[in-house]
Amino acid sequence: MLATKRSRSGSLLAAALAVTGFGATAAADEVQRWGVNFPPPASTTAQEIYDIHMLTMGIATILLVIIFAVVIYSLIVHRKSRGYPADQHFHETWFGRWSWVFVPVMVLGVDLTIAGAAQKTLERVWVVPQDQPLLDVKVIGHQWYWEFVYLDHDVKIESRFVPKEEAGIHYLREVDNRLVLPTHQRVRFLHTASDVLHAFWVPELAVKKDAIPGYVTETWVNLTREGVFRGQCAELCGTWHARMPIVVEGVSQERFDAWIEEQKQVKLAALAEATAEREWDKDELMARGERLYNTMCAACHQVDGSGMPPAFPAIRGSAVATGPIPRHMEVVLKGVPGTAMAAWNSLNDLEIASIITYQRNAWGNDTGDVVQPSDVNAAR
Amino acid sequence: MTTATHAHADHEHHGPPSGLKRWLFSTNHKDIGTMYLVFALIMLFLGGASAMVIRAELFMPGLQLVQPDLYNNLVTNHALIMIFGAVMPAAAGLANWMIPLMIGAPDMALPRMNNLSFWILPAAALMLILSFVVPFFPGGGTQINTGWTLYPPLSLQVGMSMDFLIFAIHLLGVSSVLASINIIVTIFNMRAPGLRMMQLPIFVWAWLVTAFLLILVVPVLAAGVTMLLFDRHFGTSFFIAAGGGDPVLFQHLFWFFGHPEVYILILPSLGVLASILPTFSRKPLFGHHSLVGAMIAIAALGMIVWAHHQYTVGMSLAAVKYFMIMTILISIPVGLIIFNYMMTMWRGAMTFETPMLFTVAIILMFSFGGLTGVMLAVVPADMQYHDSMFVVAHFHYVLLPGAVWGLFAGVFYWLPKWTGHMYDEKLAKTFFWLHVVSFNITFFPQHFIGLAGMPRRIVDYNVMFTEFNMISSVGAFFFGISHLLFLYIIIKTVRGGEKAKARAWESAQGLEWEVESPPPHHTWTTPPTIKTA
Amino acid sequence: MMSRPEYPPELRRKNVKLALWVLVIVILMFITAVPFWVGLFELATGVR
Repeated sequence: MLATKRSRSGSLLAAALAVTGFGATAAADEVQRWGVNFPPPASTTAQEIYDIHMLTMGIATILLVIIFAVVIYSLIVHRKSRGYPADQHFHETWFGRWSWVFVPVMVLGVDLTIAGAAQKTLERVWVVPQDQPLLDVKVIGHQWYWEFVYLDHDVKIESRFVPKEEAGIHYLREVDNRLVLPTHQRVRFLHTASDVLHAFWVPELAVKKDAIPGYVTETWVNLTREGVFRGQCAELCGTWHARMPIVVEGVSQERFDAWIEEQKQVKLAALAEATAEREWDKDELMARGERLYNTMCAACHQVDGSGMPPAFPAIRGSAVATGPIPRHMEVVLKGVPGTAMAAWNSLNDLEIASIITYQRNAWGNDTGDVVQPSDVNAAR
Repeated sequence: MTTATHAHADHEHHGPPSGLKRWLFSTNHKDIGTMYLVFALIMLFLGGASAMVIRAELFMPGLQLVQPDLYNNLVTNHALIMIFGAVMPAAAGLANWMIPLMIGAPDMALPRMNNLSFWILPAAALMLILSFVVPFFPGGGTQINTGWTLYPPLSLQVGMSMDFLIFAIHLLGVSSVLASINIIVTIFNMRAPGLRMMQLPIFVWAWLVTAFLLILVVPVLAAGVTMLLFDRHFGTSFFIAAGGGDPVLFQHLFWFFGHPEVYILILPSLGVLASILPTFSRKPLFGHHSLVGAMIAIAALGMIVWAHHQYTVGMSLAAVKYFMIMTILISIPVGLIIFNYMMTMWRGAMTFETPMLFTVAIILMFSFGGLTGVMLAVVPADMQYHDSMFVVAHFHYVLLPGAVWGLFAGVFYWLPKWTGHMYDEKLAKTFFWLHVVSFNITFFPQHFIGLAGMPRRIVDYNVMFTEFNMISSVGAFFFGISHLLFLYIIIKTVRGGEKAKARAWESAQGLEWEVESPPPHHTWTTPPTIKTA
Repeated sequence: MMSRPEYPPELRRKNVKLALWVLVIVILMFITAVPFWVGLFELATGVR
């Protein structure tokens, strides 16, 4: 049993060496690609967390080596087959009588070493420093996508999983809209959720915090380098928990400002379009509806509207999507309590109208109904 | 059935009734102990089967075998079945068999309640299995996709199977509370005259501490899931933020139970080791009194550190600091136990029969699991480890060596006593090596993928985690297969084998070795005389 | 049943009495879980 543990970590390296056959660097690269430790830290706090991790792991390794050494020595020497005479009075020696005092004191010493170092790091990581201006980003977990609101700029983006064909090797760690953050700027995340628990986790930033409905929790980072940092939702949030990636893109302050400006323009254009006083024809709404449906609804209700009963009902041929329009609007705008169906009232009138029109006319739901943004506005 | 014809003779001889009645109406601690152990073995295979499906799904990236909700349901069931169905009943089985024998009592203090606490278990298991089965029927609602922690609001979205599960948890709780009451009363009231508390074997002490933990924390879990039931059906908002409730409150209630539960699983097994080590080291236990103290300290500290399972919920700095320091301090009593066990081996004359092999493996592997536990206790570092595969690796390194292997060691150690036959040593050693090596292949790589960023409880993962997941899955299949060998060894031993002496191991100490192997239906009807040391 | 040993009446009384005391702890833990822990956790978890 000794051989198994000690040699395994070693044999792993040896195996990597043998497989690649390019010498130590290639082996190290290979092991790096497999991922055996934290990814390289990309923020000030992540670096400190990495250091405390390496410290405790180092102490743990030393203790483990001591335990293994004592046990292995004992296993080799103190065995009947070697004729070792059992020491019947070992537990009555001073060592036996006082070990209950000095063992705890020694362990306490190790504990205080770890706790002392950890406490210093904890204080710096846990409390959001207030002495410099912060960029506030509200992080809202939804089933199953992330919403990021740049509170200082009134910009909102939604970040969703992208299918394998588009994501390639980053599948499940790639999104449609990245969370863009400036480097060398303290960023405060305010975490909350709209439905169930989620957790925001990006290993390079060493940030993990639960998103809890009714709570606002906070964390902070200060990016030290530009790059793309990938993470995932870390708290089980239901069916598609595995499909809630987070991608942070660290950019320079100038590029960040430009990006924010661009987002504002996009938002204004969308708003102008949605509030335009005009009638939309069916083909326009269907085209928009299909795109929106496939982005927002298809994760649960599927691209072909067949759903995944019983959790996610079918829309194709459903009583709601082929019945009276007011009920259909109510489900979309207010959600269905006690299920995973959320209230989608944060979408604008045009978006809701397109989605409902699409659902009522796609996949053989040939109701012929056309819902206008003004109808949605009236139903709100 | 021949029951009727034998009824008279039974009454005369106080022997067991034959047939089904012997088991259904049993009030005999040995029969009930056997039933607990058989039940646990069945559940071990059920829980193991879910683990095999999980590992098969994770063998490669992508959705191959199961849909996400079914996967999450299997994750839930694996945990609940292993904890409540396999480990706790197996430990209760050892308690039922061994405590009366070890303390010189004729039976448990409340034999009829003993029958009740066992027979609630199959009913609970049925409810648990129903919770898994009903979603497959039309109108059966959705599957339980919450994991065993049942965190609301997600658990409020689940269909009727969650109600089955809540009632299963209630029944399991009643069963273990009744068993604990019985064990506490037995240990306090039924000791042979002259047997003082501090003379009791460590296994008995470990179970006394465990029983107290159970009666203190199981009612809190029962209260938590009852509040969940009320939120689901009766319009309350204990855990619903929109109604003024608090989703995090459930986590506190759950882990107030959940963390002591870890020690409930581990302590009886650590107690078993204190019987095995002196036998195969051929010298007295090192630090008997400090082991008792350490176990009480573990229980006391274990009750006040629950929130280290929730470092990420956004507690204040003061709260996380407190939980971090208290959690790290648990290493003191645990370290003392490991030290005492190492020093029992030290300067002994060791032989390595299967129970001893497991014991040595436990000391090494459990230390490893304990040390990753210290790493996890460190709050800033936990911001990375939390809810990652690193945690999965950690608690399997704690619970398999700490709980399951101790039970295996105890089964091999006392099997000659129970059955009157020695088990097949060669096969048992094969089982040991297969089991322990494949265990390490399964769980060691999970540390790496966890650190690299793979969250736990995901059905599909990015290609960067493929290699270690494959290694882990291959290990898991061998690990699963090894249990068939275990089953075969048990059946073979029950059916026959070399006759075991009353003292099956040459230097075994303790009252259980004073009675024949197998023991008669009633033992210690006249209490043994205790030599005052 | 035949498989149960006969305990003397004093011992039986003593056993049942202790069992009932333990049961009192169980019931107390169950009913205090709700109001007591709610209050304590609100305090212990601090900032909302």
